[in-house]
Amino acid sequence: MEIFVQGFKEGLYLIWQLDEEILQVTLLSLQVSLTALILSAIIGIPSGAALALKNIPGKRIILNIIYTLMGLPPVLAGLLVYLFLTYRGPFGEYQLLFTPAAMVIAQVLLAAPIICGLTARAVMALNQEVYDTAATLGASRRQASRVIIRESRIGIVAALSTALGRVIAEVGAVMLVGGNIRWSTRVLTTSIVLETRMGNFSTAIAIGIILLTISFLINMFILTLEKRTFRYDNTIQIT
Amino acid sequence: MTTPFKLHNIIKRYGEREVLNVDQLSIEGGRISAILGPNGSGKSTLLRIMALLLVNDEGQLEVLGETVKWEKKQLLRLRRQMSMVTQTSFMFQGSVNYNVAYGLQVRKMPKKAVQNRVDEVLEMVGMSAYRDADARTLSGGERQKVAIARAIAVNPHILFLDEPTSNIDISSAAEIEKYIRSINETQNTTIIMVTHNLFQARRLADEVLFIHEGHIIEQGGKTMFEQPRDQRTSAFLRGETFF
Repeated sequence: MEIFVQGFKEGLYLIWQLDEEILQVTLLSLQVSLTALILSAIIGIPSGAALALKNIPGKRIILNIIYTLMGLPPVLAGLLVYLFLTYRGPFGEYQLLFTPAAMVIAQVLLAAPIICGLTARAVMALNQEVYDTAATLGASRRQASRVIIRESRIGIVAALSTALGRVIAEVGAVMLVGGNIRWSTRVLTTSIVLETRMGNFSTAIAIGIILLTISFLINMFILTLEKRTFRYDNTIQIT
Repeated sequence: MTTPFKLHNIIKRYGEREVLNVDQLSIEGGRISAILGPNGSGKSTLLRIMALLLVNDEGQLEVLGETVKWEKKQLLRLRRQMSMVTQTSFMFQGSVNYNVAYGLQVRKMPKKAVQNRVDEVLEMVGMSAYRDADARTLSGGERQKVAIARAIAVNPHILFLDEPTSNIDISSAAEIEKYIRSINETQNTTIIMVTHNLFQARRLADEVLFIHEGHIIEQGGKTMFEQPRDQRTSAFLRGETFF
Protein backbone atom coordinates (compact mmCIF):
# COMPACT_ATOMS: atom_id res chain seq x y z
CA MET A 1 0.00 0.00 0.00
CA GLU A 2 2.87 2.27 0.90
CA ILE A 3 4.23 2.02 -2.61
CA PHE A 4 0.93 3.29 -4.04
CA VAL A 5 0.84 6.23 -1.63
CA GLN A 6 4.48 6.99 -2.44
CA GLY A 7 3.70 6.69 -6.17
CA PHE A 8 0.73 9.01 -5.84
CA LYS A 9 2.77 11.60 -3.93
CA GLU A 10 5.58 11.36 -6.45
CA GLY A 11 3.12 11.71 -9.32
CA LEU A 12 1.74 14.93 -7.85
CA TYR A 13 5.29 16.14 -7.22
CA LEU A 14 6.34 15.39 -10.82
CA ILE A 15 3.29 17.23 -12.15
CA TRP A 16 3.89 20.12 -9.72
CA GLN A 17 7.58 20.32 -10.66
CA LEU A 18 6.75 20.17 -14.38
CA ASP A 19 9.69 17.81 -14.81
CA GLU A 20 11.03 18.51 -18.30
CA GLU A 21 11.43 14.87 -19.30
CA ILE A 22 8.00 13.86 -17.98
CA LEU A 23 6.47 16.82 -19.80
CA GLN A 24 8.14 15.81 -23.07
CA VAL A 25 7.06 12.17 -22.66
CA THR A 26 3.49 13.23 -21.83
CA LEU A 27 3.27 15.59 -24.79
CA LEU A 28 4.64 12.92 -27.15
CA SER A 29 2.14 10.39 -25.80
CA LEU A 30 -0.67 12.84 -26.44
CA GLN A 31 0.63 13.73 -29.88
CA VAL A 32 1.01 10.10 -31.00
CA SER A 33 -2.26 8.82 -29.51
CA LEU A 34 -4.43 11.75 -30.61
CA THR A 35 -2.97 11.73 -34.15
CA ALA A 36 -3.61 7.98 -34.34
CA LEU A 37 -7.15 8.44 -32.98
CA ILE A 38 -8.00 11.21 -35.48
CA LEU A 39 -6.57 9.26 -38.43
CA SER A 40 -8.38 6.11 -37.29
CA ALA A 41 -11.66 8.05 -37.00
CA ILE A 42 -11.18 9.47 -40.51
CA ILE A 43 -10.69 5.93 -41.83
CA GLY A 44 -12.98 4.01 -39.47
CA ILE A 45 -16.22 6.06 -39.28
CA PRO A 46 -16.93 6.37 -43.05
CA SER A 47 -15.77 2.83 -43.82
CA GLY A 48 -17.81 1.38 -40.93
CA ALA A 49 -20.92 3.30 -42.04
CA ALA A 50 -20.40 2.28 -45.68
CA LEU A 51 -19.94 -1.34 -44.66
CA ALA A 52 -23.22 -1.24 -42.76
CA LEU A 53 -25.20 0.63 -45.43
CA LYS A 54 -24.00 -0.86 -48.71
CA ASN A 55 -24.69 -4.28 -50.16
CA ILE A 56 -21.06 -5.22 -50.72
CA PRO A 57 -20.29 -8.77 -51.91
CA GLY A 58 -18.64 -10.75 -49.11
CA LYS A 59 -19.87 -8.28 -46.48
CA ARG A 60 -20.10 -10.97 -43.80
CA ILE A 61 -16.51 -12.08 -44.39
CA ILE A 62 -15.27 -8.47 -44.35
CA LEU A 63 -17.08 -7.87 -41.04
CA ASN A 64 -15.60 -11.07 -39.66
CA ILE A 65 -12.09 -9.88 -40.63
CA ILE A 66 -12.71 -6.43 -39.07
CA TYR A 67 -13.97 -7.99 -35.83
CA THR A 68 -10.90 -10.24 -35.75
CA LEU A 69 -8.63 -7.23 -36.27
CA MET A 70 -10.34 -5.52 -33.31
CA GLY A 71 -8.50 -8.03 -31.16
CA LEU A 72 -5.19 -7.78 -33.03
CA PRO A 73 -2.36 -8.32 -30.53
CA PRO A 74 -0.37 -5.04 -30.28
CA VAL A 75 2.94 -6.90 -30.55
CA LEU A 76 1.80 -8.47 -33.81
CA ALA A 77 0.71 -5.06 -35.13
CA GLY A 78 4.11 -3.72 -34.11
CA LEU A 79 5.87 -6.61 -35.82
CA LEU A 80 3.96 -6.03 -39.08
CA VAL A 81 4.76 -2.32 -39.08
CA TYR A 82 8.38 -3.12 -38.16
CA LEU A 83 8.69 -5.51 -41.12
CA PHE A 84 7.26 -2.92 -43.50
CA LEU A 85 9.42 -0.05 -42.23
CA THR A 86 12.68 -1.83 -41.53
CA TYR A 87 15.69 -0.99 -43.73
CA ARG A 88 15.03 -4.04 -45.94
CA GLY A 89 11.23 -3.67 -45.91
CA PRO A 90 9.07 -2.24 -48.71
CA PHE A 91 8.95 1.22 -47.08
CA GLY A 92 12.46 1.15 -45.62
CA GLU A 93 13.63 4.01 -47.83
CA TYR A 94 11.39 6.47 -45.90
CA GLN A 95 13.40 5.80 -42.68
CA LEU A 96 10.34 5.90 -40.45
CA LEU A 97 11.34 3.11 -38.07
CA PHE A 98 12.04 4.35 -34.51
CA THR A 99 10.22 7.62 -35.14
CA PRO A 100 6.87 8.87 -33.73
CA ALA A 101 5.41 8.42 -37.25
CA ALA A 102 6.00 4.66 -37.03
CA MET A 103 4.26 4.64 -33.63
CA VAL A 104 1.26 6.46 -35.13
CA ILE A 105 1.06 3.92 -37.98
CA ALA A 106 1.11 1.01 -35.52
CA GLN A 107 -1.60 2.60 -33.38
CA VAL A 108 -3.79 3.32 -36.42
CA LEU A 109 -3.52 -0.38 -37.28
CA LEU A 110 -4.92 -1.13 -33.82
CA ALA A 111 -7.54 1.60 -33.52
CA ALA A 112 -9.03 1.84 -37.04
CA PRO A 113 -10.62 -1.67 -36.98
CA ILE A 114 -12.18 -0.88 -33.57
CA ILE A 115 -13.77 2.34 -34.84
CA CYS A 116 -14.80 0.72 -38.14
CA GLY A 117 -16.30 -2.39 -36.49
CA LEU A 118 -18.15 -0.56 -33.72
CA THR A 119 -19.44 2.11 -36.14
CA ALA A 120 -20.75 -0.62 -38.45
CA ARG A 121 -22.48 -2.27 -35.46
CA ALA A 122 -23.98 1.02 -34.28
CA VAL A 123 -25.33 1.81 -37.77
CA MET A 124 -26.66 -1.73 -38.29
CA ALA A 125 -28.53 -1.49 -34.99
CA LEU A 126 -30.70 1.29 -36.46
CA ASN A 127 -34.06 0.66 -38.07
CA GLN A 128 -34.94 1.06 -41.76
CA GLU A 129 -37.26 3.82 -40.52
CA VAL A 130 -34.35 6.24 -40.08
CA TYR A 131 -33.51 6.14 -43.79
CA ASP A 132 -37.15 6.05 -44.86
CA THR A 133 -38.03 9.08 -42.75
CA ALA A 134 -35.07 11.08 -44.07
CA ALA A 135 -35.75 10.01 -47.69
CA THR A 136 -39.47 10.83 -47.54
CA LEU A 137 -38.60 14.26 -46.16
CA GLY A 138 -36.50 14.89 -49.26
CA ALA A 139 -32.98 14.00 -48.11
CA SER A 140 -30.47 13.00 -50.77
CA ARG A 141 -28.52 9.76 -50.22
CA ARG A 142 -25.63 11.75 -48.76
CA GLN A 143 -27.94 13.74 -46.46
CA ALA A 144 -29.70 10.54 -45.37
CA SER A 145 -26.34 8.86 -44.66
CA ARG A 146 -25.38 11.85 -42.52
CA VAL A 147 -28.56 11.56 -40.48
CA ILE A 148 -27.94 7.82 -40.06
CA ILE A 149 -24.46 8.56 -38.65
CA ARG A 150 -25.99 11.23 -36.41
CA GLU A 151 -28.56 8.76 -35.10
CA SER A 152 -25.83 6.22 -34.29
CA ARG A 153 -23.61 8.83 -32.66
CA ILE A 154 -23.76 7.35 -29.17
CA GLY A 155 -22.32 4.12 -30.56
CA ILE A 156 -19.68 6.04 -32.52
CA VAL A 157 -18.63 7.99 -29.40
CA ALA A 158 -18.29 4.66 -27.60
CA ALA A 159 -16.11 3.46 -30.50
CA LEU A 160 -13.88 6.54 -30.15
CA SER A 161 -13.54 6.06 -26.38
CA THR A 162 -12.70 2.37 -26.81
CA ALA A 163 -10.13 3.18 -29.50
CA LEU A 164 -8.60 5.89 -27.31
CA GLY A 165 -8.31 3.40 -24.46
CA ARG A 166 -6.57 1.00 -26.80
CA VAL A 167 -3.99 3.46 -28.19
CA ILE A 168 -3.16 5.43 -25.07
CA ALA A 169 -2.55 2.30 -22.98
CA GLU A 170 -0.71 0.48 -25.73
CA VAL A 171 2.89 -0.54 -25.10
CA GLY A 172 3.91 -3.55 -27.20
CA ALA A 173 3.65 -2.01 -30.65
CA VAL A 174 5.14 1.39 -29.78
CA MET A 175 8.00 -0.31 -28.00
CA LEU A 176 8.78 -2.39 -31.11
CA VAL A 177 8.51 0.33 -33.75
CA GLY A 178 9.47 3.30 -31.59
CA GLY A 179 12.29 1.72 -29.65
CA ASN A 180 11.64 3.69 -26.42
CA ILE A 181 14.42 6.18 -27.25
CA ARG A 182 14.87 8.89 -24.63
CA TRP A 183 13.86 12.41 -25.82
CA SER A 184 12.71 10.90 -29.11
CA THR A 185 10.17 8.05 -28.97
CA ARG A 186 9.70 7.43 -25.25
CA VAL A 187 6.04 7.70 -24.27
CA LEU A 188 4.23 7.25 -20.94
CA THR A 189 3.56 3.52 -21.33
CA THR A 190 7.12 2.65 -22.39
CA SER A 191 8.41 4.82 -19.51
CA ILE A 192 6.34 2.71 -17.07
CA VAL A 193 7.96 -0.47 -18.45
CA LEU A 194 11.42 1.08 -18.17
CA GLU A 195 10.94 2.40 -14.63
CA THR A 196 9.47 -0.95 -13.48
CA ARG A 197 12.44 -2.83 -14.94
CA MET A 198 14.77 -0.44 -13.10
CA GLY A 199 12.92 -1.06 -9.85
CA ASN A 200 11.58 2.53 -9.61
CA PHE A 201 8.08 1.37 -8.79
CA SER A 202 6.85 4.62 -7.32
CA THR A 203 7.95 6.57 -10.43
CA ALA A 204 6.19 3.95 -12.60
CA ILE A 205 3.00 4.42 -10.56
CA ALA A 206 3.37 8.19 -10.80
CA ILE A 207 3.57 7.99 -14.61
CA GLY A 208 0.57 5.63 -14.54
CA ILE A 209 -1.43 8.26 -12.65
CA ILE A 210 -0.52 10.87 -15.26
CA LEU A 211 -1.61 8.44 -18.02
CA LEU A 212 -4.96 7.77 -16.36
CA THR A 213 -5.55 11.49 -15.73
CA ILE A 214 -4.93 12.27 -19.41
CA SER A 215 -7.27 9.48 -20.50
CA PHE A 216 -9.92 10.76 -18.07
CA LEU A 217 -9.62 14.32 -19.41
CA ILE A 218 -9.81 13.27 -23.07
CA ASN A 219 -12.86 11.09 -22.38
CA MET A 220 -14.44 13.98 -20.51
CA PHE A 221 -13.90 16.15 -23.59
CA ILE A 222 -15.47 13.49 -25.87
CA LEU A 223 -18.48 13.12 -23.55
CA THR A 224 -18.88 16.89 -23.29
CA LEU A 225 -19.02 17.09 -27.08
CA GLU A 226 -21.67 14.36 -27.07
CA LYS A 227 -23.63 16.15 -24.35
CA ARG A 228 -23.51 19.41 -26.31
CA THR A 229 -24.92 17.68 -29.38
CA PHE A 230 -27.61 15.82 -27.46
CA ARG A 231 -29.17 17.96 -24.81
CA TYR A 232 -31.56 15.15 -24.03
CA ASP A 233 -31.03 12.38 -21.58
CA ASN A 234 -30.91 8.92 -23.16
CA THR A 235 -30.98 7.06 -19.89
CA ILE A 236 -33.53 4.24 -19.72
CA GLN A 237 -35.66 4.86 -16.66
CA ILE A 238 -35.88 1.70 -14.56
CA THR A 239 -38.27 1.89 -11.65
CA MET B 1 -53.45 18.25 -61.78
CA THR B 2 -51.97 15.36 -63.78
CA THR B 3 -52.55 11.81 -62.63
CA PRO B 4 -49.85 11.49 -59.96
CA PHE B 5 -49.58 7.69 -60.16
CA LYS B 6 -49.93 5.16 -62.95
CA LEU B 7 -48.89 1.57 -62.35
CA HIS B 8 -48.61 -1.00 -65.12
CA ASN B 9 -48.05 -4.69 -64.36
CA ILE B 10 -46.16 -3.97 -61.13
CA ILE B 11 -44.84 -7.09 -59.45
CA LYS B 12 -42.91 -7.27 -56.18
CA ARG B 13 -41.48 -10.46 -54.71
CA TYR B 14 -39.75 -11.19 -51.42
CA GLY B 15 -37.62 -14.19 -52.30
CA GLU B 16 -39.95 -16.69 -53.98
CA ARG B 17 -43.09 -15.12 -52.52
CA GLU B 18 -45.02 -12.71 -54.73
CA VAL B 19 -46.44 -10.00 -52.46
CA LEU B 20 -47.79 -7.57 -55.03
CA ASN B 21 -49.20 -7.98 -58.53
CA VAL B 22 -50.99 -4.91 -59.85
CA ASP B 23 -52.10 -4.98 -63.52
CA GLN B 24 -53.26 -1.39 -63.92
CA LEU B 25 -53.79 1.34 -61.37
CA SER B 26 -54.25 5.09 -61.71
CA ILE B 27 -54.68 7.45 -58.81
CA GLU B 28 -56.29 10.82 -59.39
CA GLY B 29 -54.67 13.99 -58.13
CA GLY B 30 -56.06 16.28 -55.44
CA ARG B 31 -58.10 13.55 -53.77
CA ILE B 32 -57.88 11.39 -50.67
CA SER B 33 -57.44 7.73 -51.61
CA ALA B 34 -57.64 4.99 -49.01
CA ILE B 35 -56.00 1.61 -49.49
CA LEU B 36 -57.86 -1.07 -47.57
CA GLY B 37 -57.15 -4.73 -47.06
CA PRO B 38 -56.43 -7.42 -44.49
CA ASN B 39 -53.01 -7.85 -42.86
CA GLY B 40 -50.34 -9.03 -45.28
CA SER B 41 -52.41 -8.11 -48.33
CA GLY B 42 -49.64 -5.90 -49.79
CA LYS B 43 -51.00 -2.46 -48.79
CA SER B 44 -47.77 -1.18 -47.27
CA THR B 45 -45.69 -2.70 -50.09
CA LEU B 46 -47.84 -0.81 -52.61
CA LEU B 47 -47.48 2.40 -50.58
CA ARG B 48 -43.69 2.00 -50.28
CA ILE B 49 -43.32 1.42 -54.04
CA MET B 50 -45.38 4.55 -54.79
CA ALA B 51 -43.34 6.49 -52.21
CA LEU B 52 -40.20 5.34 -54.10
CA LEU B 53 -38.83 3.54 -51.05
CA LEU B 54 -39.07 0.07 -52.57
CA VAL B 55 -38.05 -0.98 -56.08
CA ASN B 56 -40.55 -3.08 -58.03
CA ASP B 57 -39.24 -6.29 -59.65
CA GLU B 58 -41.33 -5.96 -62.80
CA GLY B 59 -43.60 -3.45 -64.49
CA GLN B 60 -43.63 0.27 -64.99
CA LEU B 61 -44.31 3.02 -62.49
CA GLU B 62 -45.20 6.56 -63.52
CA VAL B 63 -45.02 9.30 -60.90
CA LEU B 64 -46.20 12.83 -61.71
CA GLY B 65 -46.04 12.05 -65.42
CA GLU B 66 -42.50 10.62 -65.35
CA THR B 67 -41.58 6.97 -65.82
CA VAL B 68 -39.51 6.04 -62.76
CA LYS B 69 -36.00 4.92 -63.75
CA TRP B 70 -34.74 4.66 -60.14
CA GLU B 71 -31.86 7.00 -60.94
CA LYS B 72 -30.45 9.08 -58.07
CA LYS B 73 -31.29 12.53 -59.51
CA GLN B 74 -34.78 11.61 -60.66
CA LEU B 75 -35.57 9.91 -57.34
CA LEU B 76 -34.53 12.98 -55.37
CA ARG B 77 -36.52 15.33 -57.62
CA LEU B 78 -39.68 13.21 -57.34
CA ARG B 79 -39.26 12.49 -53.62
CA ARG B 80 -39.03 16.21 -52.93
CA GLN B 81 -42.60 16.53 -54.17
CA MET B 82 -43.92 14.02 -51.67
CA SER B 83 -43.69 13.18 -48.00
CA MET B 84 -44.90 10.46 -45.68
CA VAL B 85 -46.20 9.83 -42.19
CA THR B 86 -45.44 6.32 -41.01
CA GLN B 87 -47.35 4.18 -38.55
CA THR B 88 -44.80 4.66 -35.75
CA SER B 89 -43.95 8.30 -36.62
CA PHE B 90 -40.24 7.77 -36.17
CA MET B 91 -38.60 10.85 -34.62
CA PHE B 92 -34.94 11.77 -35.06
CA GLN B 93 -32.98 12.30 -31.84
CA GLY B 94 -33.39 15.95 -30.93
CA SER B 95 -36.08 18.52 -30.45
CA VAL B 96 -39.48 18.82 -32.10
CA ASN B 97 -38.09 21.90 -33.86
CA TYR B 98 -35.16 19.89 -35.32
CA ASN B 99 -37.53 17.21 -36.59
CA VAL B 100 -39.94 19.61 -38.26
CA ALA B 101 -37.13 21.72 -39.73
CA TYR B 102 -35.30 18.69 -41.21
CA GLY B 103 -37.14 18.51 -44.55
CA LEU B 104 -36.70 22.25 -45.07
CA GLN B 105 -33.01 22.18 -44.13
CA VAL B 106 -32.20 19.42 -46.62
CA ARG B 107 -33.76 21.65 -49.27
CA LYS B 108 -31.31 24.37 -48.19
CA MET B 109 -34.01 26.89 -47.30
CA PRO B 110 -32.74 30.07 -45.58
CA LYS B 111 -32.70 29.85 -41.76
CA LYS B 112 -35.33 32.53 -41.24
CA ALA B 113 -37.74 30.97 -43.72
CA VAL B 114 -37.21 27.54 -42.06
CA GLN B 115 -38.09 28.94 -38.65
CA ASN B 116 -41.17 30.75 -39.96
CA ARG B 117 -42.46 27.63 -41.64
CA VAL B 118 -41.75 25.46 -38.57
CA ASP B 119 -43.67 27.93 -36.39
CA GLU B 120 -46.53 27.98 -38.86
CA VAL B 121 -47.02 24.20 -39.10
CA LEU B 122 -46.54 23.61 -35.36
CA GLU B 123 -49.20 26.24 -34.75
CA MET B 124 -51.47 24.49 -37.21
CA VAL B 125 -51.30 21.17 -35.36
CA GLY B 126 -51.41 22.85 -31.94
CA MET B 127 -47.88 21.83 -30.94
CA SER B 128 -46.15 25.24 -30.68
CA ALA B 129 -45.61 24.80 -26.94
CA TYR B 130 -43.57 21.65 -27.59
CA ARG B 131 -41.06 23.26 -29.99
CA ASP B 132 -38.05 22.68 -27.72
CA ALA B 133 -39.21 19.39 -26.22
CA ASP B 134 -37.34 16.13 -26.85
CA ALA B 135 -39.28 14.59 -29.74
CA ARG B 136 -38.82 11.08 -28.36
CA THR B 137 -40.57 11.82 -25.09
CA LEU B 138 -43.87 12.80 -26.73
CA SER B 139 -47.00 10.69 -26.43
CA GLY B 140 -48.31 8.70 -29.42
CA GLY B 141 -50.83 11.38 -30.39
CA GLU B 142 -48.33 14.23 -29.98
CA ARG B 143 -45.78 12.34 -32.05
CA GLN B 144 -48.30 11.80 -34.80
CA LYS B 145 -49.16 15.50 -34.85
CA VAL B 146 -45.46 16.41 -35.08
CA ALA B 147 -45.01 13.82 -37.85
CA ILE B 148 -47.88 15.42 -39.77
CA ALA B 149 -46.42 18.91 -39.21
CA ARG B 150 -43.03 17.64 -40.40
CA ALA B 151 -44.56 16.09 -43.51
CA ILE B 152 -46.66 19.11 -44.52
CA ALA B 153 -43.91 21.63 -43.73
CA VAL B 154 -42.32 20.82 -47.10
CA ASN B 155 -45.58 21.58 -49.00
CA PRO B 156 -45.80 18.19 -50.71
CA HIS B 157 -47.92 17.55 -53.82
CA ILE B 158 -48.45 14.03 -52.52
CA LEU B 159 -48.77 12.95 -48.90
CA PHE B 160 -48.60 9.28 -47.91
CA LEU B 161 -50.10 8.18 -44.62
CA ASP B 162 -49.41 4.67 -43.36
CA GLU B 163 -51.95 3.86 -40.64
CA PRO B 164 -51.77 7.44 -39.35
CA THR B 165 -54.05 6.92 -36.35
CA SER B 166 -53.54 3.27 -35.45
CA ASN B 167 -51.68 3.86 -32.20
CA ILE B 168 -53.64 6.77 -30.78
CA ASP B 169 -56.86 7.46 -28.92
CA ILE B 170 -60.15 8.47 -30.54
CA SER B 171 -59.99 12.20 -29.80
CA SER B 172 -56.40 12.51 -31.09
CA ALA B 173 -57.42 10.49 -34.16
CA ALA B 174 -60.32 12.88 -34.78
CA GLU B 175 -57.93 15.83 -34.62
CA ILE B 176 -55.53 14.17 -37.04
CA GLU B 177 -58.40 13.45 -39.44
CA LYS B 178 -59.29 17.15 -39.26
CA TYR B 179 -55.74 18.10 -40.32
CA ILE B 180 -55.74 15.53 -43.12
CA ARG B 181 -58.95 16.93 -44.55
CA SER B 182 -57.75 20.50 -44.15
CA ILE B 183 -54.45 19.81 -45.96
CA ASN B 184 -56.35 18.23 -48.85
CA GLU B 185 -58.89 21.03 -49.09
CA THR B 186 -56.63 24.05 -48.61
CA GLN B 187 -53.56 22.89 -50.52
CA ASN B 188 -55.12 20.43 -52.95
CA THR B 189 -52.58 17.84 -51.79
CA THR B 190 -53.08 14.30 -53.09
CA ILE B 191 -53.35 12.06 -50.05
CA ILE B 192 -52.87 8.31 -50.20
CA MET B 193 -53.49 6.51 -46.94
CA VAL B 194 -53.28 2.93 -45.81
CA THR B 195 -55.75 2.19 -43.06
CA HIS B 196 -57.37 -0.69 -41.24
CA ASN B 197 -60.07 1.60 -40.02
CA LEU B 198 -63.12 1.28 -42.29
CA PHE B 199 -64.95 4.12 -40.55
CA GLN B 200 -62.00 6.41 -41.05
CA ALA B 201 -61.76 5.47 -44.73
CA ARG B 202 -65.46 6.16 -45.09
CA ARG B 203 -65.16 9.54 -43.38
CA LEU B 204 -62.11 10.74 -45.26
CA ALA B 205 -61.65 9.03 -48.60
CA ASP B 206 -62.89 10.19 -51.98
CA GLU B 207 -61.62 6.99 -53.52
CA VAL B 208 -61.17 3.52 -52.04
CA LEU B 209 -58.93 0.66 -53.17
CA PHE B 210 -59.40 -2.81 -51.82
CA ILE B 211 -56.34 -5.03 -52.02
CA HIS B 212 -56.16 -8.75 -51.27
CA GLU B 213 -53.23 -11.16 -51.65
CA GLY B 214 -51.30 -8.51 -53.59
CA HIS B 215 -54.05 -7.88 -56.17
CA ILE B 216 -56.29 -4.83 -56.48
CA ILE B 217 -59.74 -6.36 -56.15
CA GLU B 218 -61.81 -3.24 -56.40
CA GLN B 219 -61.33 0.51 -56.86
CA GLY B 220 -64.10 3.06 -56.64
CA GLY B 221 -65.82 5.84 -54.76
CA LYS B 222 -67.55 5.71 -51.40
CA THR B 223 -70.37 3.70 -52.96
CA MET B 224 -68.04 0.74 -52.57
CA PHE B 225 -68.97 0.65 -48.90
CA GLU B 226 -72.67 0.14 -49.71
CA GLN B 227 -72.45 -1.72 -52.99
CA PRO B 228 -69.23 -3.67 -53.27
CA ARG B 229 -68.90 -5.45 -56.61
CA ASP B 230 -66.68 -8.28 -55.43
CA GLN B 231 -67.71 -10.78 -52.79
CA ARG B 232 -64.25 -10.59 -51.14
CA THR B 233 -64.68 -6.84 -50.65
CA SER B 234 -68.13 -7.46 -49.33
CA ALA B 235 -66.86 -10.07 -46.86
CA PHE B 236 -64.02 -7.78 -45.73
CA LEU B 237 -66.44 -4.89 -45.14
CA ARG B 238 -68.66 -7.18 -43.09
CA GLY B 239 -65.66 -8.28 -41.07
CA GLU B 240 -65.93 -11.87 -42.22
CA THR B 241 -63.09 -14.28 -42.81
CA PHE B 242 -62.76 -15.08 -46.49
CA PHE B 243 -59.24 -16.38 -46.88
